[in-house]
Amino acid sequence: MLAAFLLLPLAGGLLTAFLPDSRKGEARWIALFFTSLAFLISIIMYVMYDNTAGGLQYVETTEWISTDLFTLSFGLGIDGLSAPMILLLGLLSVVAVLISWNISEKTGQYFSWLLLLESAVAGVFLSLDLIQFFLFWELELLPMFMLISRWGTGRKLYSATKFLLYTLAGSALMLAGFLLLGAAGGSFDIQTLTDSPVTDAAIPLGFIFWSIMLAFLVKLPIFPVHTWLPDAHTDAPTAVSVMLAGVLLKMGGYGILRIAVPLLPEVAYDSQTILATLAGITIIWGGVITLRQTDLKRLIAYSSVSHMGYVLLGVSAMNSVGFSGAAFQMFTHGTITGLLFVMVGYVYERTHTRQISEMSGLMHHLPKGGVIMVIAGLASLGLPGLSGFVAEITVFLGALEPHPVATILGVLGVVLSSGYILWTVQRVFQGPPRREWEHLRDSTSWYEWLAVAALLIPIVLFGIYPALLAESIESGILPIAQVMEALEELV
Amino acid sequence: MPDISVTIGMQQAWLLPAMPVVAFLIISFFRKLLPREGDFLAIIGMLGILLVTLFIIIDFQGFFHDGEFHPGEANVYAFDWVRISADNFLFLIEFSTYIDAISVVMLIAISIVGLMVAIYSMGYMQGEDRYGWYFAVLSLFVAAMLLLVTSGSLVWMYLAWEGVGLASYLLIGHYWERQSAAEAAKKAFITTRIGDVGLLIGIILLWKATGSFDIQTIIAAATSGQIGETYLTIAMLALFAGAVGKSAQFPLHVWLPDAMEGPTPASALIHAATMVVAGVYLIARFSPVYEVVLVARDVILYTGLLTAFLAATMGLVTSDIKRVLAFSTISQLGFMFVALGVGAVGAAMFHVLTHAFFKALLFLGSGSVIHATGRQEVEYLGGLRHKQPVTAATFIIGSLALAGIPIFAGFWSKDEILHAVSGYASPFVYIVLAGTALLTAIYTTRLVLLTFFGSPRDRSAFDHAHESPSSMTGPLLLLGLLATVSGFFVFDAVGELFGFSGGIGYLVYLHHPHAFHIDWAFASIATVSSLTGVIIGWVYWHGGAERAIKARTWSPDLHALLVNRYYLDELYQGIVNKVVLGLAGIVAWFDKKIINETGVDGGAQFIGYFGYRLKFLQTGKIPNYALGIATGILVLSVMVLARA
Repeated sequence: MLAAFLLLPLAGGLLTAFLPDSRKGEARWIALFFTSLAFLISIIMYVMYDNTAGGLQYVETTEWISTDLFTLSFGLGIDGLSAPMILLLGLLSVVAVLISWNISEKTGQYFSWLLLLESAVAGVFLSLDLIQFFLFWELELLPMFMLISRWGTGRKLYSATKFLLYTLAGSALMLAGFLLLGAAGGSFDIQTLTDSPVTDAAIPLGFIFWSIMLAFLVKLPIFPVHTWLPDAHTDAPTAVSVMLAGVLLKMGGYGILRIAVPLLPEVAYDSQTILATLAGITIIWGGVITLRQTDLKRLIAYSSVSHMGYVLLGVSAMNSVGFSGAAFQMFTHGTITGLLFVMVGYVYERTHTRQISEMSGLMHHLPKGGVIMVIAGLASLGLPGLSGFVAEITVFLGALEPHPVATILGVLGVVLSSGYILWTVQRVFQGPPRREWEHLRDSTSWYEWLAVAALLIPIVLFGIYPALLAESIESGILPIAQVMEALEELV
Repeated sequence: MPDISVTIGMQQAWLLPAMPVVAFLIISFFRKLLPREGDFLAIIGMLGILLVTLFIIIDFQGFFHDGEFHPGEANVYAFDWVRISADNFLFLIEFSTYIDAISVVMLIAISIVGLMVAIYSMGYMQGEDRYGWYFAVLSLFVAAMLLLVTSGSLVWMYLAWEGVGLASYLLIGHYWERQSAAEAAKKAFITTRIGDVGLLIGIILLWKATGSFDIQTIIAAATSGQIGETYLTIAMLALFAGAVGKSAQFPLHVWLPDAMEGPTPASALIHAATMVVAGVYLIARFSPVYEVVLVARDVILYTGLLTAFLAATMGLVTSDIKRVLAFSTISQLGFMFVALGVGAVGAAMFHVLTHAFFKALLFLGSGSVIHATGRQEVEYLGGLRHKQPVTAATFIIGSLALAGIPIFAGFWSKDEILHAVSGYASPFVYIVLAGTALLTAIYTTRLVLLTFFGSPRDRSAFDHAHESPSSMTGPLLLLGLLATVSGFFVFDAVGELFGFSGGIGYLVYLHHPHAFHIDWAFASIATVSSLTGVIIGWVYWHGGAERAIKARTWSPDLHALLVNRYYLDELYQGIVNKVVLGLAGIVAWFDKKIINETGVDGGAQFIGYFGYRLKFLQTGKIPNYALGIATGILVLSVMVLARA
């Protein structure tokens, strides 16, 4: 099952890549078919996953490289932490294909890169082995680079290169950290290393922790290593922005919860104040900068930085509630910010501008689009009843006691987000309608509304009944939380 | 009746928010297909609420045994919302309903005023764009408001708390094409959200201390001394911050006058009768805890007192008829907080009830005036009693209730507050509050005189004016009746009549069962002061436009201060524009120039530059490499020799 999820998009990608130019119109249907199939599998996996039993399930392993010194295996499996991520990936990939429906330039290649991206990210979430994890982590860069640099807008080559180099710089140290951990622990298997964490290595464990963390913090991204994100978002095509905000950033948070914290629990526990400080700064820093943005897409990109700060804040709490909040936030942010980017693309496709100052009263011309944008905005500012709220309040509940100052900064970040979201809504959708936008009409295309619905449903569903998501997350974070609670009792 | 109440009662309290939610969903999705854009669904929803409320009240009487209220049976658990457990730890958010006397008072106010406003809106909003959407949001608001007052869990209460904020945002911004309406909607949401930061932190603090979100569990833990006093004081003050935002108390009151940009009936329901008293409800709900933390109670008392006074002074000079009522609402909410600050929960809730009726009446009356004349500045009104007799008569009744003239509802509840204050706090509080009551009578008289009496100051508006349709005057008459008689609930006999021995006083004085009694000395002082206010107002504004502007010439500086609302709005706007956006600009600049261009791009260029320079070493000429190798050997040899 999991291998199918990993390989299906790849197979679809190969098909579209070699599609002759004369039949490129079929590429999107092929892409839709394969991503939908993968999405279906992800839903089945998510529903079938046994939350009460917990742990890794549906494991598939083969020996990959075996020498006298070490054994590398290639293993796939899901637990309560990765199951929601796989679901999110499956969902957003379908959305990405749907909103790429009108890509006309080198259609076949475009979809093959997009599908390869899905496979690469799937590999990250499913890997059971450190080296395998690293491999997929790096593999994901390639399609992203191609997608931004070839199908993007503006300074696309600059942004794509910046994204590539920034992430590579971060992950170089991560590989060093993995090798040291593997050497010290005698295995690269994540589960083995989690069960018996390394206590001594060639260099101090703190160095290893931070060299791994750096890659994840870049990806998340966290102040001060965040500046690649607004550029990449602004210049990427809409579907790529959705994938970037929706699942690629989550690889950072997932890496922290899957590798950095469980493999080096004591160092992680001792580093919580630094992490909380970085989280608090990121929330406010990102939020404040968002207020000043004049480009709609850049605005959402900076708000994304601020919102990812909540993930780190939840992690820094080092307790079950905080971890749950972080994992919940990863999922909800994926759908909410995904929807925001979809809607920004929706507006841009019609107005051909992203400058907020050039818009006014668009609610008049695009009533449906406007309503969806407002709902996405309200979800983003943490309105109760929508999923963003559950994530935020869980993070705060977990983090207030260990890190009161950072948490209060986080709560203030909610006020900032009401500020920039409502101000944006006011400037773009409210106010007197402008004559120049008289010709704009809401979309009548099924694929656009299907994409919107696919994102809206989980936002509302998990907002009204979060237990649907929380139960899986709970079983996923339980093992780490137990380790942390044991450490807490020692202190 | 009792037979039905067995099947519908407190167990079915979830029906209260559920019915308007269904109305909201159907209207918002299918309003284009429905006749009259589905407004009747909103009305049906409101009627259903009124019915269920009646059954709940009947059921509720059964919880009084042996002269005591048994809340255990009022707590209805529904389902687990979020559940995260670790070894020795359970994090659980439940959905449950809890109804006691405080909720019942709120339910009565919401269901009656909600229905009146919905009926009135059919006339007022007729022919407007987004007619159906207006009714959808109105239903959404009522749903959230009912959830707020019936929820047994703090998290769900917070959810509803934000839900009413959302509905308020949508209704204030109903005419979003108008820049001022869009601005006001945003201002209202963000200002209340600042208070909500406190509320959220308070909720988290209480959960940390008790491990529960269940309101009754928290109250039990807090009153039994399980929580340290300083900690509890901080938590309760944080909760109060939420109330300050929602109930428009100083210094977060600035959003309410601007909220008048919304349709008038929505203002009547949300910004007069129900949502703005959510803060009062919150504090009343936690009143047993506030009895433990007296410091927090003093903060409530003085915040309320300051707000009551300041808002009344601003009401004296405002020319927009709705904004006068908005300032009056802020001021009256201040009265309620003063009552809570001295521990008189019964008096506060009593005032909530009477205020809901007479203030909704006044708002709907002002809506009738605006509907007829298209004007809402008193400078352009006048003499309307000839054109709108029903509106004028009911508006005067509402004004008499607001001014605190005997027999009208406001008199009894305000008197109860003044009485409670006199027995508890320093004479200073009593004097300021009585003075504010005097100011209330003055500005109310001014409003009535300038609107309905004298000669019309805008001829065309006056000629164009007419009495409103019966869908609007009907609710006015009914609310007029309630504004007259709802004060009589204080009397035992009236309470008896409705099945509550001891009247409303007994109903809401849960922890100190206490029957209301009128102290005639205090009542006389209050009456004299109210009448004095009316006379001052009459002397001053009676007789037309010239006198109306005299206030301006009497003390221009003071007038300017009041008209500009003590310059608080300018101050806040300045803080947002200069400080917040200024700092944001600096941060954005730093992020762009220093972190990104200097740090990131600079780092890349630095490496690129060195790579560029170093590449010239790779010349491809054998002699160059030979020279390098030779130099290397030489240096190494020297080093080795030096060591030896």
